[in-house]
Amino acid sequence: MRINRFLFVTMVASTVFSPLARSTDVEPVDHIVSSQVVSDEVVSGDSYTGDMGSCPAGSPCASGSNGVGQIGVGGFGGGLGSYIGDLARGGRAGDLSSCQPRTYGYPDLFYNYYTQGNCNSTNAQMYISPVPVPPNVGHTYITYQPFMAHEMLYQHKDRFHNYYDGGRGMNHTKVHYFAPPVKTAASNIYWNYLRIPR
Amino acid sequence: MKRYILSVLAVVAMATSASTPSAQAVDPYARTQRWSNQVAAQRPWHGGYYYLPTGQPTALIVPPTAHMRQTLSWGVSQNLMYPLNHQFGRNASSPGALAPGSFQATPHWPSHTDQFGVYYVRGPW
Repeated sequence: MRINRFLFVTMVASTVFSPLARSTDVEPVDHIVSSQVVSDEVVSGDSYTGDMGSCPAGSPCASGSNGVGQIGVGGFGGGLGSYIGDLARGGRAGDLSSCQPRTYGYPDLFYNYYTQGNCNSTNAQMYISPVPVPPNVGHTYITYQPFMAHEMLYQHKDRFHNYYDGGRGMNHTKVHYFAPPVKTAASNIYWNYLRIPR
Repeated sequence: MKRYILSVLAVVAMATSASTPSAQAVDPYARTQRWSNQVAAQRPWHGGYYYLPTGQPTALIVPPTAHMRQTLSWGVSQNLMYPLNHQFGRNASSPGALAPGSFQATPHWPSHTDQFGVYYVRGPW
């Protein structure tokens, strides 16, 4: 009897938890918001399709930069080591070689997405969304990754991790991107059946 | 009797857990993702035409769950469907934008949907 009851509890538990486990198995790759220097510096000598191809003479993009700036999006090019947490390095009496300074990392302000592949004659950057703007208009940074517009394209859930303190700490944000079913159905009826195509 | 009820419940629970639909179980190892990446590495994401407002081929972002695109042209046999292989990724790839004039303009009388210079690229996961 006890075995039977255990079997039943196990079955119920597997029923309840199996969708969870399954969804974590097949979820796409998590976004690791890493704390390393990531900037657009590698492409600073180039321009992308989103920057508009028609550069007016004398504009930054005509001179070879991407319209964002030569030091890249993060602006870290000349500013390495100038963060608050790095003040603890040096300048103190005593043996600091074994001391770990308090660091804040170099968080990812904004990083773009690009078309991939080896056979492209030109490449496009994904942001600025929804449409590209000329380089003299400016740029928009989306600094909070869960709010990036491409996450709103489909219904899913996603996790954003940030490891810190040498891997001893982890910040974990889980986001559910959800489409209300009634509103979505009404919208589908309007856009697919009622709207006059023009 | 109690044992019988428990056994029935266990069987029902097992059947329920086995038949829970999982939408993504058809491709648990994401093989289609790998195929798409391999195919996308060997084909450009764009055609030979530029989009008039931008002067370059322009990527139209579609959800990463989208699978196919359709091209339309004159004639009954020219409505073709291709898989949507290209997807935005984190690697900054080169070259960037080409000089104006590297691509063709949309003809005055377009005969193919690719001639408008807008090409689908799936958004990242």
